[in-house]
Amino acid sequence: MMIPNPLSVLLLVPTAGLALVLLTPAAKTSLIRRITSIALLIPFLLSIWIFMAYDAALGGYQFIQKIPWVDAFGISFHLGVDGINSLMLILVGAGSFTAALVSSSIKERVKEYYALMLLMIIGTYAAFCSLDIFFFFLLHEIATIPTFLMIGIWGGARRNYAAMKITLYLTAGASLALIGLIALYHATGLGTFDLVAIQQHLTTNPLSIDAQNIIFPLVMLGFGITLTLWPFHTWAPVGYAEAPTAVSMLHAGVIKKLGAYAIIRFAIQLMPDAAHAWMPIIAGLAVVNILFCGFVALTQRDVKYILAYSSCSHMGYIFLGLAAFNIIGLNGVVFLMFSHGIMAVLAFALTGFIENQTKTRSLDDWGGLLQRMPFIGTCFIMAAFASAGVPGFGNFPAEMMILLSSWDHYRIQTVLAVLGIVITAIYMLKTIRLGFHGPLLPKLNTVIDARTAMAKLPFVILLGILMMVGFFPSLILKNISAATKTTIVSK
Amino acid sequence: MFPIIDWHLITLELLITLGLASLLVIDIFAPKNMRNDIIGPFSIAALFVIFGFWLKQHDVHGTTFGGMFVMDSLGWFFKGFFLITMFFIFVIAGQFFKSVPGEKRNVFYLLLWLALLGMFFVASSADFLVLFISIEILSISLYVMTAYLKSDSHSIEAGMKYLILGALSSGFLLYGISLLYGATHSTRFEAIAAFANTHAMTPLVLFSLVLIFAAVGFKIAAVPFHMWVPDVYQGAPTPVTALLSVGSKAAGFVMLIRLFLCVFAAWHLQWGAVFAVLAAITMCYGNLVAMFQTNIKRLFGYSSIAHAGYLLMGAAAGSVLGIASMNFYLLGYLFTNLTAFLVVVLTFNVIKSDSIDDYAGLMKRSGILGVSLLIALVSLAGMPPLAGFFGKFALLMATVQKGYLWLALIAAVNIVISLYYYMRIAKTIYVDAPKHDSSIAVSLPMRLTLSIGIVTIIAIGFFQGPFFNACITAVKGMSFIQL
Repeated sequence: MMIPNPLSVLLLVPTAGLALVLLTPAAKTSLIRRITSIALLIPFLLSIWIFMAYDAALGGYQFIQKIPWVDAFGISFHLGVDGINSLMLILVGAGSFTAALVSSSIKERVKEYYALMLLMIIGTYAAFCSLDIFFFFLLHEIATIPTFLMIGIWGGARRNYAAMKITLYLTAGASLALIGLIALYHATGLGTFDLVAIQQHLTTNPLSIDAQNIIFPLVMLGFGITLTLWPFHTWAPVGYAEAPTAVSMLHAGVIKKLGAYAIIRFAIQLMPDAAHAWMPIIAGLAVVNILFCGFVALTQRDVKYILAYSSCSHMGYIFLGLAAFNIIGLNGVVFLMFSHGIMAVLAFALTGFIENQTKTRSLDDWGGLLQRMPFIGTCFIMAAFASAGVPGFGNFPAEMMILLSSWDHYRIQTVLAVLGIVITAIYMLKTIRLGFHGPLLPKLNTVIDARTAMAKLPFVILLGILMMVGFFPSLILKNISAATKTTIVSK
Repeated sequence: MFPIIDWHLITLELLITLGLASLLVIDIFAPKNMRNDIIGPFSIAALFVIFGFWLKQHDVHGTTFGGMFVMDSLGWFFKGFFLITMFFIFVIAGQFFKSVPGEKRNVFYLLLWLALLGMFFVASSADFLVLFISIEILSISLYVMTAYLKSDSHSIEAGMKYLILGALSSGFLLYGISLLYGATHSTRFEAIAAFANTHAMTPLVLFSLVLIFAAVGFKIAAVPFHMWVPDVYQGAPTPVTALLSVGSKAAGFVMLIRLFLCVFAAWHLQWGAVFAVLAAITMCYGNLVAMFQTNIKRLFGYSSIAHAGYLLMGAAAGSVLGIASMNFYLLGYLFTNLTAFLVVVLTFNVIKSDSIDDYAGLMKRSGILGVSLLIALVSLAGMPPLAGFFGKFALLMATVQKGYLWLALIAAVNIVISLYYYMRIAKTIYVDAPKHDSSIAVSLPMRLTLSIGIVTIIAIGFFQGPFFNACITAVKGMSFIQL
């Protein structure tokens, strides 16, 4: 009996879920919620299994499936995982499953909500396991229109502006990257979009430095916009803040990391010479990201804006780790992609939970929430500390690795990046002090904590993952380093 | 001596003429009260029969009428294209006449059949005289159909504008043809292609080419020959707008491909860059002005100009890949645009307005209309995994391959600009509250047609392989190909 490829199963389950949701009458909302939760739980569990079943000693891409698709351009539907994207699949799994769980507060147009969400998630899953450059692009862009519609329908007060801004910015970045990728295709002369084939070819015949100097900036900038590289980050705060909770969780935690993943796979891995030349600029912009977004976060009163700016700020660490251009740095980058993703999903989920009850996100209207919501409040404090890089959570080993790796070549930037950690701690502690500690505001007398196991489940899962990789980083580092070893040559 | 005619090659055109004649007969002899009900279904049925014959004509190649008429793979591809276009147009026309019950529809359908005949001859012309006559058949049918609503001043105005500018462009075409004849001593494409191979371009030839391009540019709505588009698209009856946006445009592009990328290909070096610049200007103009439109048909007019710009990128590339990507783009464009126009006509029948603001909450009022229009708009914007995305992708591939990186970057910027106005409409139909809460009923045949449109857009967009291979085959089997 032919065992079906686990990656194909991982993609087919949510697709089947989407088909079932579309066929269910719109009135049966609880059935739709249940279908979606199961359709997202199974791939989550499968992603954990795939990660554990990955043979780190063997290395390379495993669980491969390749179906020729368009011969004229050498495009194939090529799936496969190595240490980096198998970890990212767990991120998508955790983010998507918890997003489905916290969406129980959506009461209007439920069927469309879950259908759009499933579409976004299927595209993200498939993009992470795609080993074909064309399909990576196609699949990661599937999320654009669902994002626009979901923010536009279920978003906050400035949702129209936010929806248009996030969609246009992300498309601008993607289109720029597309031109770069097309130029890459033509420059290699292989007539294929297959990442494995191109990678093998370019290790022995790298592109000319002139070609690299044109293509690398296009791809780096294009995907950098998705990763909120300063000064193209302004779509993120308003976009994440005005989006419904699930969309913020998925975007800040998961979809943003597609940009980093693409930079590692396409820009750095395939064009190392240009990457090496451009890294000082990236390191500089990384520090601006950290400090600029960090300082702006200090001034915000809206909790989601604080979290959004914090997210932009932390992307600076990812850029710094990429700029360091060595294996430890790259390990740290992948680790941070994962940890920050989980933390962002957690933080936005908690904020969404609180906002549902207090009907406000402003720190002026929050106060003493820890008294009424001990569980949620504690989770939020833990998420805040994770964001600040406190040991015990995954962000700490990740940021440590990045800072260690960038110390040699970028000393000033590293010192400023450490300053960024302090700034993060300041605004996170400020949020906790203003929102959770202190006297309970009288109008918040009626808020209820998460009581049932189902209500606590998403937060427990996310915190569990965060602490597990925080205390035992070797759990995932083994697989990550198996992949990063072959990605770049340390310089 | 009576020349030998290979009747096998012109089977499809003969069948269309037969359909035209049958329609005339039905119109004369059918009882008056049944006349209007028969014409539409009869036309669609006849179209299916002709489509069956088209499928069998797959391997038919050759020239006839003394080399003036050619049947090759490109012609075959576009004839199928025109048949599918006409199917949708007949459906749209049937729905359109429900909103103007007083108008006679018999002449309209006759003109549609005539336009189809004209388009078929354009796809098969191998001689400038045949090309000119077929363009005129197509254009004159369109002029009359544009001004069909005698009581609507917009329709008459649109018809007048189209007629005057169209006549001007036909004049240019004829002048260019005559100058070219003077230089090459033949109107036969084959002879001119041979001439191009052996003779360098002279100022006389260049001048004639510019004049011919003026006419082609008018048909495809490229800048600076685009001025007629917004008013004509807005004023004409919706089925005519639909035919203009897809059928007439495709006919123009067949002319472009056959003439500039095939017959004159030996002189290509001279205008590859010119096409690139025109492509850039056309895209930018169409997209920038479309951002401010409030009438959906007018917006589709400007969007049509922008899409001509994208298609001109493939013409600038001028390679097999370039032409194949133009074919693919047009194929996706067919289903996208015609689905959208079907939604426009069905919505107009209920809300009696073409203003985008009145489309608010269309999703709530009718699920199928909302979803169809959304998918059509997203495909036009070039978002994966729909047909419009791979079309733009293929065009960009051809453009970058020929070294026009700057043009590709301009196209990337334009994709973002166009996304803005398409998404603004998407927001109106999806997010905004409807002005009237009544739901819009959509009959089963219309649901079926819309579903066919949606499924095809997604199929072409995701399972691109077979469709793109068909486009490449169409190019590789072209006559007088010199790429």
